[in-house]
Amino acid sequence: MTINPKTKKKKNSLNIDAPLHVTGRTQYLDDLPELAGTLYAKVYYSKVAHGIIKEIDLSKAMAMPGVHRIISYKDIPGENQIGGIIPDEPLLAETEVHFIGMPILLIIAESEKIAHHTCEAITIQIAEKEIITDPIVAHQQQQYLSDPKTFQLGDTTTAFTNCSYIFEGTAETGGQEHVYLEPQGAYAIPNGDKSIKIYSSTQGPTAVQRTVARVLGVTMNQIEVDVNRIGGGFGGKEDQASPWATMVALGTYLTNRPVKYILERGEDLQMTGKRNPYKSRYKIGLDNNYKILAFEGQYFQNGGAAADLSPAILGRTLFHSTNSYYVPNVKTNAYSCKTNLPPNTAFRGFGGPQGMFVIEAAIHHAARAIGVDAQIIQERNLLEEGSEFSYGQKTENCEAQNCWVQAKKNYGFGERKEQVRQFNATNKYIKKGLALMPVCFGISFTNTMMNNARALVHVYSDGSVGVSTGAIEMGQGVSSKMIQVAAGSFGIDYGRIKLETTNTTRVANTSPSAASATADLNGKALQDACSQILHRLKKMIAAEWKCQDLDTIIFEENKIFALDHSQEIQWEALIQLAFQKRINLSAKGHYATPKIHFDNTTSKGHPFAYHVYGTAIFQSTVDCIRGNYEFDSVQIVHDFGSSMNRSVDLGQIEGGLVQGMGWMTMEELIYDEKGVLKSGNLANYKIPDIYSVPKEIAVQYLETAGSDLAILKSKAVGEPPLMYGIGAYFSLCNAILAFNPKATLTYVAPMTAERVLMSLYS
Amino acid sequence: MGHSITLTVNGTSVTKEVEARELLVHFVRDHLSLTGTHIGCDTSSCGACTILVDGKATKSCTMLAVQADGSTIMTIEGLASNGELHPIQEGFKENHGLQCGFCTPGMVMTAVDLLQRNPNPTEHEIREGLEGNYCRCTGYHNIVKSIQHAATKMNT
Repeated sequence: MTINPKTKKKKNSLNIDAPLHVTGRTQYLDDLPELAGTLYAKVYYSKVAHGIIKEIDLSKAMAMPGVHRIISYKDIPGENQIGGIIPDEPLLAETEVHFIGMPILLIIAESEKIAHHTCEAITIQIAEKEIITDPIVAHQQQQYLSDPKTFQLGDTTTAFTNCSYIFEGTAETGGQEHVYLEPQGAYAIPNGDKSIKIYSSTQGPTAVQRTVARVLGVTMNQIEVDVNRIGGGFGGKEDQASPWATMVALGTYLTNRPVKYILERGEDLQMTGKRNPYKSRYKIGLDNNYKILAFEGQYFQNGGAAADLSPAILGRTLFHSTNSYYVPNVKTNAYSCKTNLPPNTAFRGFGGPQGMFVIEAAIHHAARAIGVDAQIIQERNLLEEGSEFSYGQKTENCEAQNCWVQAKKNYGFGERKEQVRQFNATNKYIKKGLALMPVCFGISFTNTMMNNARALVHVYSDGSVGVSTGAIEMGQGVSSKMIQVAAGSFGIDYGRIKLETTNTTRVANTSPSAASATADLNGKALQDACSQILHRLKKMIAAEWKCQDLDTIIFEENKIFALDHSQEIQWEALIQLAFQKRINLSAKGHYATPKIHFDNTTSKGHPFAYHVYGTAIFQSTVDCIRGNYEFDSVQIVHDFGSSMNRSVDLGQIEGGLVQGMGWMTMEELIYDEKGVLKSGNLANYKIPDIYSVPKEIAVQYLETAGSDLAILKSKAVGEPPLMYGIGAYFSLCNAILAFNPKATLTYVAPMTAERVLMSLYS
Repeated sequence: MGHSITLTVNGTSVTKEVEARELLVHFVRDHLSLTGTHIGCDTSSCGACTILVDGKATKSCTMLAVQADGSTIMTIEGLASNGELHPIQEGFKENHGLQCGFCTPGMVMTAVDLLQRNPNPTEHEIREGLEGNYCRCTGYHNIVKSIQHAATKMNT
């Protein structure tokens, strides 16, 4: 993973992975050379959504040539438990199954084909039980995965009595399949005695390490997890990469052979959880100036059959229930409902998008009923400097209004609105819709404990540098950013720095690469490590140069010089000298985000290092005969702080936007009443293809002061753009209303072409 | 029962024994160790396994290895010559037409076929040419720009 030094001139658009990607040399999990003696694992999973296991017949399966073992929960040496937040999820089912796709047995065979055929030769009798797939039904039966959460600000009951307008309604968002293009998988190798090394396609190497240790009944230091990179994650490999890694480790533990498992896409879709679907209720109250005085929300999260990350996701729904708006009186309650679906999990935005959709639906509802544009209500309630969120934190360097005003002005929104009005007046069966979508997203893990990271830096005696952090490269460009941080710290070319794999023996106790915080946390830890080495080097050379003030020694362009240019030494020569003088050229850096705290009992605190803001303007065109639609444009003003890598950051905005639009429009995850996944392959679960993206995506950089808690003041950018996608939904609503002002809008997402058609003629 | 097949892979003649049911993508990855060609979906939906078979972009999970007997195939590993990136590879690199990189080889190989057939495609023709390839990271705009970059370079 080294790069050519000449790329330095394009400092602000470094992508160290690009040369590997375009030549096919990038090494993903399934590209690792396999060791001789490798065995292959495969899961036999439940075909019913809820039931008691009555009988398992392995007679045919065990007779298959090339089968090594068929592992059940009884073979687990440690604890049959993979639940991260709450211990409620067995690795392999014991007596009861809770969802279709729940692993029951693990086959270990000589080849993938044999494992596949063995799987087909197994028969299991399961006595079916009643199932729940709807979170509201689960709520009625008090079936929860964790305690309900409440956030409260002011007093909504009193505030509603002062409102001129009050509206109540329901809103619903569907699940979303991650479709990381690289399927889940892992490869375990015996590492001597009880130790096992695991290559895993995970966002959370420590989560894998901890889970494997627990299931094998060994200490964490026996388990080494190594991640070179992953082919997309989007949250789907934050917690749900652990089962497969644990399975191959279990296979290795029991056979003392290398064991590999790469899931087929169909298995991946069946067995893994998705973005949590939500059903919600809202009540919004406004005064006659359209100021929102009170907002109440109840959120029923479809958690699936085990908690996984759903309790934390539930929290973020409440953190973002008022999106970019200041609402003085808020009461929100959220319930993580247990259903017989695969355990749902993290997905870019982590419950935030599901919360934001509800208040946007409430505002749209209110605007329509009052007879004003939703934009008027949105605009009059945007956050200001010092506005308090329902969780007690107040905005600092608030850019909500700035983004909104710039977007409207820079993209000529007033003129556009008039053009759309005229277009709709002159076209009977084709209608256009406009919508604005402001976004405010908090940066940090909402679990304060997780906001820390470490990095390890070695400067080798030839002046080359090796960097290890806890960050996982999954396409978000964090490797490039880490190289930028290290190169910037030492004042040397990118080409002198090699970014190592993420490995639990070099960097321990990592938080997953998630919550948009990876570059901030790991970058700051890396800065700490670099500055320790830098300080030692400065002290050494200061003594040589008889220089008193370390601040007058400058590291720039591969050389080190005194500010007055009286002395100069090349980087390599300096390192050679330091090596001879026995200076420690390695350092471990640590960072823990300052200032943040949150009290879970009062649901108040200062959970976020900072907030990211932005506004997107959507224009869609709906074919009112067929219900088909396309997006003419999405124009965004986004608060990047001071972007450290514009092309990487711009890529995150475009990709996040399109993924959010997919969730809101075309990605329809369907389970039937038996809990069967009906959208179980990529032919019937449609993600945005090259046709369905907006014709125009414009992004303007709102260059702001950034935040000292952002790496090099470059604000986190992974998740915030996903929520722009919500605007796609409301632009379609507005086009529908242009055709049929009396249309029934259900505020159910995704707004598929079918739903558009139904609404047009409702 | 093994079948002997002979084909030209990235300019070199290769003869191997394969099973009749062996997919071309597995042949390329497992027998030839050319792991730049990726398996993303198993159902011919995603295009990550696209390679050139006799110059034509082909999802290598839709074809048996024995069907490629006598063919000339090119994978992503064979595209750069003498260390020089092909203009399409350069286009993806320069225009940030990639993020996680998993779809990239398939995208690049599809684009090679597209520009061979149509050296000067419109934006619509580029999109039409890439409709069989999914990217979950980028939002596609930079992929279109990457191919426009390549077309311009190849035409000058």
